[in-house]
Amino acid sequence: MKAAPVAEGSLVAAGVSATPRRRAPRLDELLPRWATFAPALLLMLGLGVLPLVNLLYTSFHTVSWSGGHATFTPVGFAHYASLPFDTLLRAGLGNTVIFAVFAVAGQMVLGFALALMCSRVTRGRMFYRALFILPILVPGIVIGAIWKLMLNFDFGLINQLVELLGFEGRNWLGDKETALASVIVVDIWHWTPFCFLLLLAGLESLPQDPYEAAKIDGASWWQELRYITLPLMAPAILVTFAFRLVIAFKVFDEVYLLTAGGPGTATEVVSFTLYQRFFTEDRAGYGAAMAITIMFICALLLVMALSVRRRSEPA
Amino acid sequence: MKRLSHRLGLYAALAAMGFVVLVPIVWVVTAGFRTQISLLTGELLFTPVLANFTEVLFSKTSDFLVNYRNSLIVGLASTLLCLTAATLAAWSLHRLRWPGWVLHVFLGWALVFHMMPPVALASAWYVMAREVGLDNSFAGLILAHAVLNLPMALWLMGVFVREVPIELEEAARIDGASTLVLLRRIILPMIAPGLAATAILTFVFSWNEFAVALTLTMKQTATVPVAIAKFAQDYEIRYTQMAAAAALSILPALVLLLIGQRFIVRGLTQGAIK
Amino acid sequence: MTHQRGRISRRQTVAGLTAGLLGAGPTMAAAQTKVAPITIVINQSPWFDSFRKTVELYEKETGNKVELDVNPFAGSLEKQRNSVRARQGQYDLLIMNSGWFAEMYFGGFVEALSDIDPGLKLDPDIFTLGNTVYFDAAKKTVGSGKLMSMPISPLIPVVYYRGDLYKEAGLAAPQTFADLEANARKFNKPPRQYGIVQRGARGPASVSFDFYPYLYGFGGSVFKDQAAGDYSVALNSEQGRTALDYYIRLSREAGHPKTASIDQAEVIQNMVTGKAAHVMMVISAWSQMDDPTKSAVVDKVEFAPTPHAPGLVSAPGLGHWLGGVAKNVPDERKRAAVAFLRWYQTKPAQMATAMAGGIPVSAAIYREPLASERRFRWMKAMAESLPHAVSTLSFPEAGEVIPILELGLNRAVAGETTAVAALNDMAGQIHAVMAKYGYKTGTLPGLK
Repeated sequence: MKAAPVAEGSLVAAGVSATPRRRAPRLDELLPRWATFAPALLLMLGLGVLPLVNLLYTSFHTVSWSGGHATFTPVGFAHYASLPFDTLLRAGLGNTVIFAVFAVAGQMVLGFALALMCSRVTRGRMFYRALFILPILVPGIVIGAIWKLMLNFDFGLINQLVELLGFEGRNWLGDKETALASVIVVDIWHWTPFCFLLLLAGLESLPQDPYEAAKIDGASWWQELRYITLPLMAPAILVTFAFRLVIAFKVFDEVYLLTAGGPGTATEVVSFTLYQRFFTEDRAGYGAAMAITIMFICALLLVMALSVRRRSEPA
Repeated sequence: MKRLSHRLGLYAALAAMGFVVLVPIVWVVTAGFRTQISLLTGELLFTPVLANFTEVLFSKTSDFLVNYRNSLIVGLASTLLCLTAATLAAWSLHRLRWPGWVLHVFLGWALVFHMMPPVALASAWYVMAREVGLDNSFAGLILAHAVLNLPMALWLMGVFVREVPIELEEAARIDGASTLVLLRRIILPMIAPGLAATAILTFVFSWNEFAVALTLTMKQTATVPVAIAKFAQDYEIRYTQMAAAAALSILPALVLLLIGQRFIVRGLTQGAIK
Repeated sequence: MTHQRGRISRRQTVAGLTAGLLGAGPTMAAAQTKVAPITIVINQSPWFDSFRKTVELYEKETGNKVELDVNPFAGSLEKQRNSVRARQGQYDLLIMNSGWFAEMYFGGFVEALSDIDPGLKLDPDIFTLGNTVYFDAAKKTVGSGKLMSMPISPLIPVVYYRGDLYKEAGLAAPQTFADLEANARKFNKPPRQYGIVQRGARGPASVSFDFYPYLYGFGGSVFKDQAAGDYSVALNSEQGRTALDYYIRLSREAGHPKTASIDQAEVIQNMVTGKAAHVMMVISAWSQMDDPTKSAVVDKVEFAPTPHAPGLVSAPGLGHWLGGVAKNVPDERKRAAVAFLRWYQTKPAQMATAMAGGIPVSAAIYREPLASERRFRWMKAMAESLPHAVSTLSFPEAGEVIPILELGLNRAVAGETTAVAALNDMAGQIHAVMAKYGYKTGTLPGLK
């Protein structure tokens, strides 16, 4: 079959446009399939599996160093069992969940609103895109340091503005009531560009036909949003949300510089507790168990959030 | 009338948001031109000085220009690697009829991997890198960053790849297009905006990444975040130098963003078969 | 050796100096023997610049090559750990912080200096900083045994106070805690000026470090006798109660209203902007006080040792840096590292450090005339304090004890718990940690 490509094409077309049927892949289908998948697979296998396996293995041992050598003592599930008694971890989990939920919700809404607004702007869209992306270009440490200065009780810009408006300046990062909220605000400022960028790209890839049809039918702005935009954007929104949530669970740089977990444990987040236990206290086994547990909880949260979404989606 | 007030409302909202976004950025950039005491007392009017920038760029203890170059190399290379692998894999998984379980396992695994705290990954990677002698090299860090950003790139490109109507692909195949031509002429142009967005994000994440960069580099290969972190010292934070370094750090990311975006979209849509 | 009329070449001067420095033993040729190049891992800090200049002087004088790998403080420990735990280390000379030198000793990651170079003797003028340079591997105690490291930077807290305000009021430098309290109250005029600004925030080593001079100055301590291996918890003693009560009272009645959230950066901020009349802070911030781009109180700040209770001595806690030689590097590099340390402790090297803006570890420099110069006025306080500096936690698991102290003290300062409850609670937790790792430990009967 000299005209193999053509025949393959029509076979494929026939196969797909009719009822899709499973059949053994042919050799000239296997090559492109594996060639395109291989790079990502190799990367993940080579660099992704080993560390995770190592972490799992370590979580069932206690590691101690002497004479320049490490000793791995198996302890079974002991580390996992002692996790619920870790007061810092309990505080951290609570704070992180609150932080993740509010920060991510805020950013998704804000990011989507910004993306919608930008997509309706005809002139200067490039300008607005560059403008609203700026915060994410700043390294996390700098964000922490700069906002810390701005929120400073004695000299900060925020208190200066607040006092200008006639109110009393507050110790935003130092008062238990406002500390976590302040960290959330900083995070929203920092990460909304992420949502904005992705949702705008999503909006720009949407097909125009449904909108034209809707315009002919005389649909309102709200109806357009609810019945066309949101359903079509669903995959982009979901992925943005999922990744934003996972990243929120890993937040570290900003908290480290803003509050270092204080006052008390008001802004203790899990990545912080993990850093403390894993590195500062050098408890590799316990830290590994904590890392695995945190990943599990994050996954659980994600699954819960996604199932809620699926249930609320109109059929 | 209604349309005008809508327009005005839109621009007003955009302006307000722009203001909120800009104020801290302007604060950071101008802080680079202040003396430390001026910043600490929070005075609004000040006389600008260049001392911070000269210290960051040219002092004996600072290799900022070297760090810049390193970050550019690592950022561009890892973004290229990551995005190539991710786009090809995403298209492959969604469109080349892999068995369903492969798709779900791989994507699920990628997400789980993404949940792993980078600090924990960093030490594991250090040990691996040291064994093969890559611990103070660009290659090690480039690979690490590519893998770090792979899950997100994979999922995002999956979204954009699936937006390409499958009829288009089939039509191309009927016309005798090989896989390569299919990718280059049909798929890439259609996913160009999404690809651009993902590329920007991947580059920015690599540019700003700290934990792994610190572990896998030494003096000659250190990146910009490592350099900036040196200003947050154990006994003081050198705010003004940090601000100057941050201002310099935002620059290439911004330039790449403005130029790169247009480039990527235009470059990919060239030669598109409609 | 010929020399031109009236002019001695620089190389000959240096050569002469070097020969003079190394004494009669080694010949000139041996004195200029090249050793292997070494890599030093150190963190970026206010005193780093002076260290760098000192290293450059060493390179110039001896022709040996030294590579400085400078890291941010956040991550220094990880980098050093990674290097010492690998089969082949990246770094030859480790500049270790007081927070982790014990981990390096106990883990066998650094080699005793006397094992590498049996002829090496610590210069009698060098401050041994709570004897933290010695370690007994058999008994596993810090404070005696072999010489494991060389002091690099002797950082301890001192009192920074507003000399101009004192002069106006005709007061002498504060010596006892009673002095400090009286003067702080006198100058407390909130919100424009606070009598004292303390570092009460919770952090990696924040409020606990701030509290040590108070605790030990009142005669209290965290453990009964670390040097003898007795880790019985002594935190919740009567002296501990007095110290914490004093600390909290000071913060409430003469200090910053938000002490519980004030960290190191903000303490410095308050001092340089002129808002604080006193602070107790690590010495390395001295250079900021007289720098017009960083301070609004140029030439107004004076220094004094941390206060003490009557009859006792000033007892600042150590936050110092020691130089140790890694075990997992080739022998020739170990010898080269020791050669550097041997040079570093000499008087000319220490003088160079001081002139470059660093803090010398040799008592000889503090006796020099330059210590009376205006810009080195902090030297007097240092010379008085250094002999009494206390190493508070000299064991590898200190990383687990510090967070207990940080959280407990922070909550007491914030008023979330009473001082007594905080002390008892911390003591109990610390005891649990020490027992977990098999140290000889015990508790005091709880405070009522």
